Amino acid sequence: MSRRFLLRALAATSLAAYATLATPLTPAPKNAEVYIIWPGDGTVIEGGKLWVRMGLKGMGVCPKGIERPNCGHHHLLVDAELPAMDKEIPNDRNHLHFGAGETDARIELPPGKHSLQLLLGDSKHVPFDPPIYSKKITITVR
Amino acid sequence: MSKPVAAVIVIAAGALGVGGHAAVATAADASAPAATAAASGPTPAPRNAYLYIGYPNNNQTLPAGKPVKVWFGLRNMGVAPKDVKFPNTGHHHLLVDADLPPLDKEIPNDRNHLHFGAGETETTLDLPPGKHTLQLLMGDDRHFPTNPPVYSKKITIYVR
Repeated sequence: MSRRFLLRALAATSLAAYATLATPLTPAPKNAEVYIIWPGDGTVIEGGKLWVRMGLKGMGVCPKGIERPNCGHHHLLVDAELPAMDKEIPNDRNHLHFGAGETDARIELPPGKHSLQLLLGDSKHVPFDPPIYSKKITITVR
Repeated sequence: MSKPVAAVIVIAAGALGVGGHAAVATAADASAPAATAAASGPTPAPRNAYLYIGYPNNNQTLPAGKPVKVWFGLRNMGVAPKDVKFPNTGHHHLLVDADLPPLDKEIPNDRNHLHFGAGETETTLDLPPGKHTLQLLMGDDRHFPTNPPVYSKKITIYVR
């Protein structure tokens, strides 16, 4: 076995190991922006039922499982901090997935202060590179 | 003013990955009777799907020379790019100064029928001064209206 072959083999295996350890994130356009169209920061909601209108600029919406360049689906973080940016976004009451390509989200919240923030996920619910998330807003339910 | 406007619209459509077939609405299309209530495409859509223009508002006056942002609102249904088959999804088509096309045929693709086949949920338009109408129509993976057809109220805006 020549030294050159050995080196190449070594390089190949280390590359493979790197690839499995760190799954590359899906690239997103640099100018892409996700934002909450409605409600505005500080809005007071009577009753607690509301439609959140999810805005996306410079990119498209597509359902989960669909591999297409420059598209993803919305995740609404309710009373939660941003999760890890290199892992699948949790799926629970504080991390709502809109894997069917929804752009308007019907939610119901108990009285009090609540935070809302959007985070775009790729076909596998993992944030993009760079991550695309909105400003975190606070609303009050009465 | 109308010349650069046309250019901008074409560029916008191109950037959306529409490119392809530039179907020009013919006189026959334009004069065709509004599709009957039964007419629709082959893909089912939720009965309660609701499509609306989130902005601008009906009868709003907007300043000339500034791009107009248009928000596409959709409830009880999702967005998917063209060619993607996923239940209860479709993609937006914005009709500018146009009536609803036949609801059982592929939606025309021209300056008056803008396709958002990459799953876009908003756009900006450069419109010449005057009165304009805007209306949204959902299309399936092949740009056919759904069954039932899902379209928004037609709004009028004034650019001056």
